[in-house]
Amino acid sequence: MRLLITGVSGFIGSSIAKKLIQEGYEIIGIDSFLDNYPKKIKENNIRELLKNKRFNFIEGNILSLNIGKILDQVDGVFHQSAIPGVRASWGINFNQYTEHNVNGTQVLLEASKNKEIRKFVNASSSSVYGDVNELPISETTPTLPISPYGVTKLAGENLANLYFKGYCIPTISLRYFTVYGPRQRPDMAFHKIITAIILGREIEIYGNGEQTRDFTFIDDAVEANLKAFLNGKDGEVYNVGGGSRVKLNQAIRIIEEISGKKAKLKYVDSHKGDAKHTYADISKGKKDFGYSPEIDIYEGLKRQFEWLNDNLDIYR
Amino acid sequence: MPIDEKLLEILACPKCKGDIKLKEDESGLVCETCKLVYPIKDEIPIMLLEEAKSFGETK
Repeated sequence: MRLLITGVSGFIGSSIAKKLIQEGYEIIGIDSFLDNYPKKIKENNIRELLKNKRFNFIEGNILSLNIGKILDQVDGVFHQSAIPGVRASWGINFNQYTEHNVNGTQVLLEASKNKEIRKFVNASSSSVYGDVNELPISETTPTLPISPYGVTKLAGENLANLYFKGYCIPTISLRYFTVYGPRQRPDMAFHKIITAIILGREIEIYGNGEQTRDFTFIDDAVEANLKAFLNGKDGEVYNVGGGSRVKLNQAIRIIEEISGKKAKLKYVDSHKGDAKHTYADISKGKKDFGYSPEIDIYEGLKRQFEWLNDNLDIYR
Repeated sequence: MPIDEKLLEILACPKCKGDIKLKEDESGLVCETCKLVYPIKDEIPIMLLEEAKSFGETK
């Protein structure tokens, strides 16, 4: 079976590709190496994959490639390409977010019409919820994003749902809750905190660190993708959380314990668009396709720390 | 290792969406209509307009 992964050189895209290759699938991966972080990091993410004959890579942009021709030859889609990040979505570069997160998704969905696609798994985000009063957050919780990024991810989700209803494209959207682990994007909190601890540098923490997050280990997020592809219900959205709610300060203590070093923290004002708390109700994914996260925060951070400690040169 | 033939079949010119063909020396993919060559680097086709060169530039 041949599958298309967009954004294949990114943190989650490359991890999905690695898993699917291990499972025996053939992959066509697309990435345009958007400059949200250095190309060499993304190239490193797919370095091993490129050695595999079942992995075919195209450097290109889904907005300009003749994507219909590619979709003729695949059985499923994992749409991971997007401009990520809540904070950077404020300001003059918002057009890049709409271009890639909204237009890119629409182009891919439009090209998927009348193709024999078994499933179109669309990467969404917990940022579609915004600040929620009642936890845990279920898929029926109102979607009121508080960042421009969240608005674009919600638009992508809505497009996926529209193309399911209008053209029977079997879409599923997965709302990722703060995914972390080896190869995490360099602008994300755990990557920055671990790097600062290793190098003995000061690290800025947005807010007082008492904000809570449902952190999802990358292997669990990948497993959710594969299971949703195989058994998810068409036209549905699913939360992908890690199964526990942890304060950022607690996570920092864990990293300190793992590293044996004290973090040099500098607390600064929180950013617009950052939700105060997230905690996913993952019962829907569990019921429909057996999603059950396995890696707890301690084990997950240990794996990320060890990986980053061994691979820090890639990011410098 | 040459570029995968199955991959060649599904690629098209990003500008005109028309057919492309492999250069004899396998260093790029040619769109005769747009007179552009898309480079192949380390067996990876770079299907980006900003990376393409016109025929004149590649001679």
